[in-house]
Amino acid sequence: MIPQVDSHYCANCLENMPSSEARLKKNRCSSCFDCPSCFHTLSTRATLAQPRPAPEAGGGDAKVENKQPKKMYYLSCFNCRWTSRDVGIPDQPVASGGWPERSAPHAARVSQLLEHYRAVAQQEKQDKLERERKKFAIRGKYITLTDKTGLTGAVARSIAGLGDAGAGAALAGFAPAVPKEDVEGLPEDAFTKEVNLKQITSMPQRLASPEWQPVSVSRLHPLAKLLSVKRSQRCRACDHNLTKPEYNPGSIKFKIELLAYYHVPEVKIISCEMIKPGAKSTLLLKLANPTGHEMALQLLPAAPPPPPPHGETEAATEDKDDSIEKSLDKSLKLDKEPRWPHVEPPAILTRVTPPAVTLTLAPRDDAAEYDDDARHEPSHIILWRKSNKLALRLELTTDPAAVEGSPARTALTVEYSYRNTVPQSITASQNRDHTLYTTVYLDLGTVGSAGL
Amino acid sequence: MALYEGIALIQEKQAVVLDLGSEYTKFGFTGEAAPRCIVRSEFWSPGLRGYKRVFDYKDDEELYDNLVHMLHLLYFRHVLVNPKERRVVVVESLLTPTRFRETLAKVLFTHYEVSGVAWADSGRLCALTLGAPAALVLEVGAREAEVCAVIHGCVVLRSLQAAPRGALRVRTELARLLAEDGAPALTDHVLEDIMVKTCLVTTRERAQQWASDSPPTPAKSVRYPLAGAGRGRGGPGGAVTVEGRARELSAEPLFAEDGEYCSLQDLLLQCIMQSPIDCRRALAENILVCGGGAALPGLRSRLREELAHALTEPPYCDRLHLTSLKFHSAPAHANSVAWLGGAAAGGGGAGAGRRGPAGGDARAGGRDAWLRARRLKDWVCLLDNTPPDHPAREHHLI
Ligand SMILES: [Zn+2]
Ligand SMILES: [Zn+2]
Ligand SMILES: [Zn+2]
Repeated sequence: MIPQVDSHYCANCLENMPSSEARLKKNRCSSCFDCPSCFHTLSTRATLAQPRPAPEAGGGDAKVENKQPKKMYYLSCFNCRWTSRDVGIPDQPVASGGWPERSAPHAARVSQLLEHYRAVAQQEKQDKLERERKKFAIRGKYITLTDKTGLTGAVARSIAGLGDAGAGAALAGFAPAVPKEDVEGLPEDAFTKEVNLKQITSMPQRLASPEWQPVSVSRLHPLAKLLSVKRSQRCRACDHNLTKPEYNPGSIKFKIELLAYYHVPEVKIISCEMIKPGAKSTLLLKLANPTGHEMALQLLPAAPPPPPPHGETEAATEDKDDSIEKSLDKSLKLDKEPRWPHVEPPAILTRVTPPAVTLTLAPRDDAAEYDDDARHEPSHIILWRKSNKLALRLELTTDPAAVEGSPARTALTVEYSYRNTVPQSITASQNRDHTLYTTVYLDLGTVGSAGL
Repeated sequence: MALYEGIALIQEKQAVVLDLGSEYTKFGFTGEAAPRCIVRSEFWSPGLRGYKRVFDYKDDEELYDNLVHMLHLLYFRHVLVNPKERRVVVVESLLTPTRFRETLAKVLFTHYEVSGVAWADSGRLCALTLGAPAALVLEVGAREAEVCAVIHGCVVLRSLQAAPRGALRVRTELARLLAEDGAPALTDHVLEDIMVKTCLVTTRERAQQWASDSPPTPAKSVRYPLAGAGRGRGGPGGAVTVEGRARELSAEPLFAEDGEYCSLQDLLLQCIMQSPIDCRRALAENILVCGGGAALPGLRSRLREELAHALTEPPYCDRLHLTSLKFHSAPAHANSVAWLGGAAAGGGGAGAGRRGPAGGDARAGGRDAWLRARRLKDWVCLLDNTPPDHPAREHHLI
């Protein structure tokens, strides 16, 4: 399954943001802020600012305005009492947004650098074209030299200060960084000053704003809240959407939800006797039918599934929905060579003796959850039945060669009928019922000693 | 600011830059001035019921799982983009273990299905942020300090230096000094916090006084309160007193000479000495100190003092005749200089930083190429660093 970003939203104000807008705003909400000190959400608080008597109060309108105290807003943290006033951010007249934005300290230089390297890349391309043209011309000594050092013509020229050969203005105008003799040392009072731990930021506080990384608490600024994303999931093999959330951030429902959990019978271990080399033991399994249809089940010894080989040999978390489209997608799948690395099946030394009966599981019924009288069956295999679940008793035979202390594993293949409920096409009606296979690997703890 | 934001919009899919450090990971987009996030290289592991560090691994499979989890965290919690069909610039050390690179490539290409990965070594990227023709880059990371000479965008591989003198060394020393003063055992995170908040790199003069019989007046001691004071064994009142001695001397191991030329000043001078003679002067006048460990206050000025002193003593005094030492300051915080280089290289149309250190063309490795070869180009591998006209190639030995 490949998770994918589906939609951006703010976890605080539950507002969706289109992904293009989110990209512009660097995935941050424009109206919610986090505390730079303890990372809780800041809340906006209002105060009434006393109106200052305006010196030129002459007009009647101005008088009316002046009489009403103006509402001013600031940000404050309920957790650690940090407020935006602490760092000298002026109060704002509007409740949301409008907070001053700071520009990153090195932005100008970085954009210069970027421009320069873009120009270098362009020049490189041009040079390459030119060289193609002059293929038969005698190569100068200079060129071969630079080829050896991995230095391209454009860079060499710009370094040598030769702004010729049509070098762009960006190349010529770029000034490399200038080194300095002296470096900033410790402040004078470093050895005599008392250290106030409350004034120095911690690593998480610094790293919360990578552009600034303030050292002093007084330079902390409110952090715009990072958006969260809803994820949809796709099948790695056939690119189908398996889950897709609803767009509304407040909803936890899914628009599409096709997980194996709802389609593949559930196998659970109830209990198991100690596995001993060369001995027999009993395993109790519980099977449950999650679908809304009656399900016929048969247990087979673990083997490569009989043809057609649509059954997936994975644990029960795999998606079974795509078997119909398999033939269609076969060509597609071959192209997608980077298959999920195939998990080698573990070595099986313990074998199950499967009962040669077909079990039938009733459809899932939510109402039946509430009656709890399990019906005991006279059969020696089935222990009990309860709505869509049943418990099985199986016999295990362990190879005498099993090493004591090694993990005891067993495998069995479950053959089950499955009714596809996803509407396909009109012609698909004869294709609705399938027999599918899943191999289940059971981890039964470790092999005990034979003597016990 | 506005300029490159506009360009970012025109570009179909902005590439991401990944600098996976042993302590902190820097992750963000190309063409931006700073990473979007700098987070610890660890993720929540439900199995362990705690945080698991990416670099705690026994075998390739565990590393694979760690990287899958870490990248998921980065893509879907911090940067919020789809990894699929997007290019990645990986900032790596030239000394990254092959296993780690290969596993990272496998995770990126098969699990996240990225369209291409450009592997770039951090030394060259750091130099890229300066735009200067020659640079001597000292990176003080968490574990290692590495020095490489970068001339015209090429690393002088012969003179590459590295030693385990990073921020973790300072932390260990701080723990030792605190224990000497009777402090209880502290967790790594608390130690890091103490280091960041109180430690400084003392001057050379004072360091010598400390070593002599007449120590100077120590810097003021700091009472560091411990969280959860009531229940811990955190000494009297749940606080640790960080003595001035510990504050000043924690960083000393970085400069201590042990006869193996492993101190920071030795690494730098050894690197200059092993570089071509005609660029030694240029290197000494273009020193760039970066990496998270270089953020300790006073480190650069101390390094300058130590370099100046070492140049007057053997083995350097008769072999290096350097008159001036000059230092650069990169347009980024010390911990994200290499990252910025990656962002610039990726943003500038994969321009200047594209040539591989072995002279080969280490351009953004496409997914198809990786799927065919199932290996990465590496400068240490004979397959990649044998010149094309070498006789071995003719005989198909390689
Ligand atoms: Zn919001
Ligand atoms: Zn707070
Ligand atoms: Zn599928």
